Amino acid sequence: MARRVAVIGVGNSKFGRRDDVSVQELAWESIKEALHDSGLSQSDIGMVVVGSTAYRGIELYPAPIVAEYSGLTGKVPLRVEAMCATGLAAALSAYTAVASGLVDIAMAVGVDKMTEVDTSTSLAIGGRGGNYQWEYHFYGTTFPTYYALYATRHMAVYGTTEEQMALVSVKAHKYGAMNPKAHLQKPVTVEEVLKSRIISWPIKLLDSCPISDGSATAIFASEEKVKELKIDSPVWITGIGYANDYAYVARRGEWVGFRATQLAARQAYEMAKVTPNDIEVATVHDAFTIAEIMGYEDLGFTEKGKGGKFVEEGQSEKGGKVGVNLFGGLKAKGHPLGATGLSMIYEITKQLRDEADKLQQPLKKYIGLVHNVGGTGHFAYVMILRR
Amino acid sequence: MQIDALPLSIKYKIKYPDEFIEAVKRGEIVATKCKNCGSVYFPPQKDCYNCGKNEMEWIRISNEGEIMTYSIVSQKPQGFENYEDYIIGIVRTKDGINLMAWIKGQPKVGGKVRLTTDNMRIIGEVVG
Ligand SMILES: [Zn+2]
Repeated sequence: MARRVAVIGVGNSKFGRRDDVSVQELAWESIKEALHDSGLSQSDIGMVVVGSTAYRGIELYPAPIVAEYSGLTGKVPLRVEAMCATGLAAALSAYTAVASGLVDIAMAVGVDKMTEVDTSTSLAIGGRGGNYQWEYHFYGTTFPTYYALYATRHMAVYGTTEEQMALVSVKAHKYGAMNPKAHLQKPVTVEEVLKSRIISWPIKLLDSCPISDGSATAIFASEEKVKELKIDSPVWITGIGYANDYAYVARRGEWVGFRATQLAARQAYEMAKVTPNDIEVATVHDAFTIAEIMGYEDLGFTEKGKGGKFVEEGQSEKGGKVGVNLFGGLKAKGHPLGATGLSMIYEITKQLRDEADKLQQPLKKYIGLVHNVGGTGHFAYVMILRR
Repeated sequence: MQIDALPLSIKYKIKYPDEFIEAVKRGEIVATKCKNCGSVYFPPQKDCYNCGKNEMEWIRISNEGEIMTYSIVSQKPQGFENYEDYIIGIVRTKDGINLMAWIKGQPKVGGKVRLTTDNMRIIGEVVG
């Protein structure tokens, strides 16, 4: 039987264009904060997993340099990668190490510095985030294109509108403006979203997350360690799920939701013995606005096809049925691929500890959910946390 | 301070099946079918993960299809900068294979296309 595991420390760097730091300095920002948050030092950590995609930065193998800079040499057995879900993949690895009894305390660090290459290069690397040989090479798919294919189909099948997608962006920017760590801190209107430059129709610039630099860290501990260290606000991981889907997007079928998310969510809900109705606060992977709408549906917050209505009715606002992406989401807070999933754990941990200040969701049951999608629905990870 | 890092130039060679490239040059689209268990693969593969055998035959895919979804690419990636805006679609062929194609003509979800090639990639020409 696996051991119970809690999050006992979290850190999140400022997200944005971070020309002021190297990748190791950026990683240290969140590592330092997480160590401080947990009251631990490097010598207490049994294992460190580094999550990074690294392809847009000069350091293609970032794990050793991050470890060296942060005083964690000797603790890092691997770097993990699951595209945009790299952060939760790293968290899963660290969680598993603790749950299995291999170590008592493990750290997952997510970091990516994505602005070291220009936008055209970045699009070409992102476009390879599918099946290069049979997609990008012939057709010039970009990352926004993949999500656009889902958006077009969702609009045709369920009548989802560009205005409803724009509302996701408006909500994200509203909260991003209240989060000093967010990449984008300017509110936007529906009209501004609709009039913004077309990237890959129907996806426009303001439907898309920015290209960001950032890091996030979470520290996981066993129940015995939580007691021994007298941690006063552990946040327990009660459910975890993961799944993947075909790389070649045409093969997946339907294109109105992510099967990987549906499977991961079912696994996580079963393990946590909760239903979607129990979730009060969540991060939903919103690399593009359509992704959040599909996320509401795939996670069971609303029926399939009603995601557009869900945001329109304010059910995902702060104080709504499920407060979603209250720190600004990928859309406004930013999406440094390796950091994103761990930054989501940071947010939900802050929420469950009632430490989210102006962005605090009112909670009764203290149950939160983290949802991190890799690629364009290639991977999905869902984690359920509770205090 | 930011200074220029050393440039990194990567040149790749990539392997495609001869049969696929030759078919595309004839304006045809082909998939592989397992002689043992009948599984059909697109993208084509030479190994059958269903039964573990690797005895495949090449089969021709129907050139009639329906647009399942599409997107018009305005912000082009490296390697495609010199192209006009292009339309990427997912097409379901009459024989039930889903594939990616460039769409020529006015696309709509549910619209019919005739599949052909431009000697390199699959093209779905809108026919109604
Ligand atoms: Zn077979």
